[in-house]
Amino acid sequence: MACGLSAEDLRFNRDIRPILSENCFFCHGQDPKHREAKLRLDIRAEALMEHDSGFAIVPGHQEKSEILKRLLTHNPDDQMPPPESNRKVTPAQIELIRRWIAQGAPYEKHWSFVPPEKAPAPKLSDASWARQPFDRYVLAKLEAEKLKPSAEAKPATWLRRAAFDLTGLPPTPTEITAFESDASQRGEAAYAAAADHLLASPRFGERLAQDWLDVARYADTHGFNNDSARSMWRWRDWVIESFNANLPFDRFITEQLAGDLLPSPTPDQRLATAFNRNHVINSEGGIIDEEYRVEYVADRVRTTSTALLGLTTECARCHDHKFDPITQKDYYRMFAFFNNVLEYGEDGRIANAVPLLATPTREQQAELKRMDEAIAALDRKIAALKTDALGPAGLRERLAAEDAKLLPKSLKPAKPTEARILAKEAGIDAKRGTTLSVWFKASSSTADSPILSALDRSGNPAGVGYGNGRELRLVDGEIEWTASQRHPAYATIIRTIGANIGPGTWHQVAVHIQGKENAATIALFVDGEEVPTQTRHDGVSGAPANRDWLLGSDGKAKPFDGEVTGFRTYPSILKPEQVRQAFWLQSADKISEPQRKAADLRTLRRHIGSTQALQTERDTLWTQRLATVRNLPTTMVMEEMPVVRQAYVLNRGQYDAHGEKVEAGVPEELIAPWPKNAPKNRLGLAQWFLQPQHPLTARVVVNRFWAQLFGVGLVKSVEDFGTQGEWPSHPEVLDTLARDFVDGGWNVKGFFKSVVLSSTYRQTSDASPELYARDPENRLLARGPRVRLTSEQIRDQALAVSGLLAEKIGGPSVRPYQPESLYKGIVVDAPYPSTTWDLGKGDELYRRSLYTFWKRTVPHPAMLTFDSPDREFCSARRSRTNTPLQALVLWNETGYLESSRKLGERMLKEGGADDASRTTFAFRLATGRMPRAEESAVLTRTYAKLRADFTARPDDAAKLIKVGASVPDPALSAVELAAAAGVANMILTLDETITKN
Amino acid sequence: MHPLREAQLSLQTRRHFLSSVGQFSLGAIALHALKAEGAPTSNDNPLAPRQPHFKAKAKRVIYLHMSGGPPNLDIFDYKPELVKRNAENCPDSFLKGRTFAFTTGVPKLMGSPRTFKQYGKGGLWMSDAVPNFQKVADEMTLLKAMHTDQFNHAPAELLLFTGHARQGRPSMGSWATYGLGTENQDLPGFVTMISNGVQPSGGQGCWGSGFIPSVFQGVQCRSKGDPVLFANDPPGMTRDLRRATLDALKDLNQRQQDELGHAETVTRIAQYELAFRMQTSVPEVMDISKESPASLEAYGAKPGESSFANNCLLARRLVEKGVRFVHLFDWGWDFHGTGPKEDIRDGLTAKMAATDKPVAALINDLKQRGLLDDTLIVWGGEFGRTPFREGRTAASQVLGRDHFPDCFTIMMAGGGVKGGFQFGETDEMGFAGVKDKVHVHDLQATIMHLLGFDHERLTYRFQGRDYRLTDVHGKVVKEILA
Repeated sequence: MACGLSAEDLRFNRDIRPILSENCFFCHGQDPKHREAKLRLDIRAEALMEHDSGFAIVPGHQEKSEILKRLLTHNPDDQMPPPESNRKVTPAQIELIRRWIAQGAPYEKHWSFVPPEKAPAPKLSDASWARQPFDRYVLAKLEAEKLKPSAEAKPATWLRRAAFDLTGLPPTPTEITAFESDASQRGEAAYAAAADHLLASPRFGERLAQDWLDVARYADTHGFNNDSARSMWRWRDWVIESFNANLPFDRFITEQLAGDLLPSPTPDQRLATAFNRNHVINSEGGIIDEEYRVEYVADRVRTTSTALLGLTTECARCHDHKFDPITQKDYYRMFAFFNNVLEYGEDGRIANAVPLLATPTREQQAELKRMDEAIAALDRKIAALKTDALGPAGLRERLAAEDAKLLPKSLKPAKPTEARILAKEAGIDAKRGTTLSVWFKASSSTADSPILSALDRSGNPAGVGYGNGRELRLVDGEIEWTASQRHPAYATIIRTIGANIGPGTWHQVAVHIQGKENAATIALFVDGEEVPTQTRHDGVSGAPANRDWLLGSDGKAKPFDGEVTGFRTYPSILKPEQVRQAFWLQSADKISEPQRKAADLRTLRRHIGSTQALQTERDTLWTQRLATVRNLPTTMVMEEMPVVRQAYVLNRGQYDAHGEKVEAGVPEELIAPWPKNAPKNRLGLAQWFLQPQHPLTARVVVNRFWAQLFGVGLVKSVEDFGTQGEWPSHPEVLDTLARDFVDGGWNVKGFFKSVVLSSTYRQTSDASPELYARDPENRLLARGPRVRLTSEQIRDQALAVSGLLAEKIGGPSVRPYQPESLYKGIVVDAPYPSTTWDLGKGDELYRRSLYTFWKRTVPHPAMLTFDSPDREFCSARRSRTNTPLQALVLWNETGYLESSRKLGERMLKEGGADDASRTTFAFRLATGRMPRAEESAVLTRTYAKLRADFTARPDDAAKLIKVGASVPDPALSAVELAAAAGVANMILTLDETITKN
Repeated sequence: MHPLREAQLSLQTRRHFLSSVGQFSLGAIALHALKAEGAPTSNDNPLAPRQPHFKAKAKRVIYLHMSGGPPNLDIFDYKPELVKRNAENCPDSFLKGRTFAFTTGVPKLMGSPRTFKQYGKGGLWMSDAVPNFQKVADEMTLLKAMHTDQFNHAPAELLLFTGHARQGRPSMGSWATYGLGTENQDLPGFVTMISNGVQPSGGQGCWGSGFIPSVFQGVQCRSKGDPVLFANDPPGMTRDLRRATLDALKDLNQRQQDELGHAETVTRIAQYELAFRMQTSVPEVMDISKESPASLEAYGAKPGESSFANNCLLARRLVEKGVRFVHLFDWGWDFHGTGPKEDIRDGLTAKMAATDKPVAALINDLKQRGLLDDTLIVWGGEFGRTPFREGRTAASQVLGRDHFPDCFTIMMAGGGVKGGFQFGETDEMGFAGVKDKVHVHDLQATIMHLLGFDHERLTYRFQGRDYRLTDVHGKVVKEILA
């Protein structure tokens, strides 16, 4: 039985369906390929039909029902389930089926596929206990079970519990004292105020993000063999901000699923779609591109299904689902929503995979805005000044001489018939730095044509060495530069923004080729001025080959439609000023009269006393701005291809076994109808998930929130609401919460507030051994939650109580202590980002744990020990183990030792004058309560023992306090500090300390 | 009495186990069901020893994984016809419609440059690359027509060790400890060690516990530095002082348990005691300096180094102490020919010199100690290598082969498999298995069988499905059972 908790009447969904699902549906369910004897038991009409051996089920007539005979027989030929199936129905279950048939064999649609409705208020003998509407259902169940709720937890216990649940950090003793006094005076109002205070803390977003990052399989590396770094932290910061701003959950989901498809999406909305790009990406050489691309799409289906439907659709990838009525076609219709991204199976060897987006931080956004305003102001000032049209005498000659000193090399084809420049002539050298420039004029189209190419386009585009070299193209009126080892997976491809080059006029392009030739080092200049660029790929993993240059051709596609000339290289990186001058010097005979006048004016302004200073200031600012833009963090996002990629059913789930063509769609009959007028894309899909009558989304979400608070969901299988999942312990609570959540505008903070203030939540977690024995997992909710803290909370608490915690929110992930040699002999030995753990500096060591750099193949070992998932896949719940390795982390890991020592320092400085008050001080910080007398005695006794020991061995004391990067306070005696640190470590290691009580 | 046992006896209820494995009571129930089938055990520690479905031939496993794919055609699978046709174009029939990791176009066939002979009573073919394997041929079963579905390292390793080519499933060693528990509670039940470079391409997923409780995941031990991460006390902390603070900690935890009655606190107290013992037991077992010079010499092990030879010796020490599953990963077997170390002539000779000696020593050592009969040794890679030269390196002086999923050889010894036996044949050029093919799922089924499990019944319920190591495949290779 699903719960075994209640003696209510039989209910098909709760009592019968699990038995049939577990034992019968595999062969008599909805998968026609595996159906035996043409018998289907998951649909009542079919189950009641006559078959060769009679009627499986005859309502009201157990004696005529073949199913019972088959369950009861010992004849192996007739026995069901067949002996070789390894399935077995217990006598108790057979009895349930007998009773059910006797009662007429009623079926129900699986409970989770019926939209949630509020249940009628239950009859209670005494309703005064309930504070929230859902408390009544909890109480009704307890009454039915002849149990009483536990007493209310002490105010301090509640505050610590709520603080961990809403902020992930413990309250300070001051906060506890204030709350205790407030609670004694104001009662309920004090609780509400405390909840509001916690919800308003920016820590709330960090706390809520933790679980969403698991679901979203967030990590800082790509996974697989090379497992190099990616940059997705801007998305993580968006999640934190969204929770803090109490973004309604329907918008939270819509923007992540389809922010890019909203009308005029904001940069933040596009950033949100990174949710669907958090999957692993393989950059191992030699893989089949399509196989992995399909894998990524499948991962999106899996993550979205688990996160919002609470269904495992994965089974239907290879065949119709055996248990839940989801067909293989349903699966690939869902797949089709996520199939239209211009991405590659092999990507991400050294940076983000495509498509990607520059995603400035809030500070950078403000900084860019400041720069833009300053530049505009300078432009206005300069325009207002008069410029002497003639300029200083001999300016052109002087500038020409300066240009000549830069040793430009004019490159002309040796044979006029073949527009080819030899590689050694061109002399590109990124290490030294090279500036390349060229002139072109497009005749008619500027759609896509090669200006200069040294990119190897011979051979199979799927081959390993395809596309090595460099290339300059004109694409849709913009300039695109490529530096590539293998096109496009291992290439830098950047494109100008706003160059707007039209046909019929001459233009000059100059390129800075330097360093790693990645997006941050390449600069593009059009007509002497550096222009902003967007990064399309940023994955070049080594120096591109130096190949011969073709003028106006890439050796394959149509040649350049127009003229290409004036190809030059300089053996250095020209300053922006020098690029401008070179353009001006070369431009005279190429550009039109008005263009030339403008160019003259621009040049003169830099050389005439009245404007020079302002112009220089403006130029410098512009260069800075562009450098800022080039170095903005990028994030991998969703972006639709202009033409939808055809999706197919993939036979057996094989990437290349195309079956029937499918269009995007959802299992409408089973779950919910497609909303009227919703577009058939991810935006429509979001609308489908979030329609008020959707049976699953809100239930799945509130159930996960509930599990965050109580340690176990109302539906225990938080990731499976299907027929194999568990029946909710309190269906009425789940449905009331889901209904209120949707009808109240998907208000996340509102949800948490209502639950932490409920009587159910406010119970003490202390309970009699009998109650623990009867209900070990607290499914009846006859007591408050008691759960070991998460890996993040355990460490964050240690940092907080020791005073080390750095409070900064967001930013790139950081690298706190990790065993030095951990990567040695484990991590791939190549110069990819994230193959070394460069220990953080200063505050980076003390940031909250959700900012710890997450390397998928080698996650932080202390976090793994406390059951953090590896984030390879969507994970909706963590295991909670209790192992000896956890003790070793708490005792011996550098970070915990440093926290212990810092807490020891606090004991000595803030904890009072004697051992008793000092130990009490630390104990209270960590557990939120005062030690009892006998506990105090143990603590002080141990403190004395430690002091005596370290007094005898002062060298050991000196060694112990040196652990960690922070310097011990020299004013404190090493012996005293070591002894206090020892006590502090003990306190941080207490079962009570690492548990939410 | 062992502290954990003691704690458990004091709380012999199911609730203890449920809470100690946390939320995974589905798993706990599955485990419970499993126990109900075997002999009843007296406690609920998830790592307590348990009986399998039927009497096991092997009580423990040492799996020696050669990361990258050893060249089977230059070690065990002798192909004189391929030698005859050396440097000919690879036949179209073989290349048509196929993709290889690093080869496009028409590659050249490559016969093995090595000398082959037959060894032992079973006449096992071996090349001159493995002089020490030759001497223990009578202990070995060779599975010569192994095949897999994957031709890239990471997915092939995951398929081999978790039954599925993507991350997220429990590994072989996790299944073994989930099913059997372990016999020494002072040591981890499932230990992995790495040598010669980096972890396998499949990553920690190769020894991860996937969706089953993380107590069953492999614990990585090191022959250098902390033998287990965080096992060493910090500088300045003596064992006595640790004991003293642990006593106080125990006292405080116990008082809290007395006051509030939380079952998990009892487990915590016991686990802290275990941790204290592990701090001694792990370094002890990992310290090979007290091994006899003869033993060190036999393995080619040197105290203080981190080498495959040391790891083989450590594997013996660990299984001797009751560790259930020892998984060694050795890097450097990807014989593409992109450098001299990846050459199937001198490169392979050098690599094998550091490999076949310790493996042979391990077999002999276990035999001498009477452990070979119930310790299963498995040696091999995640796939084989092509009968042709790899495309990228075809013009170089170095001879290398590309990844090849269709044919490879796995060596097994001890633990209930036949000695001096070879099973399976590939065609005359090593392109395809032609007789007694064994898929990696079959290998998994066979290993589980040797451990006493019906691989179809050792399952774990997750997201509504009963998962198992062999996915929905696997057939026990009965022919190799002793």
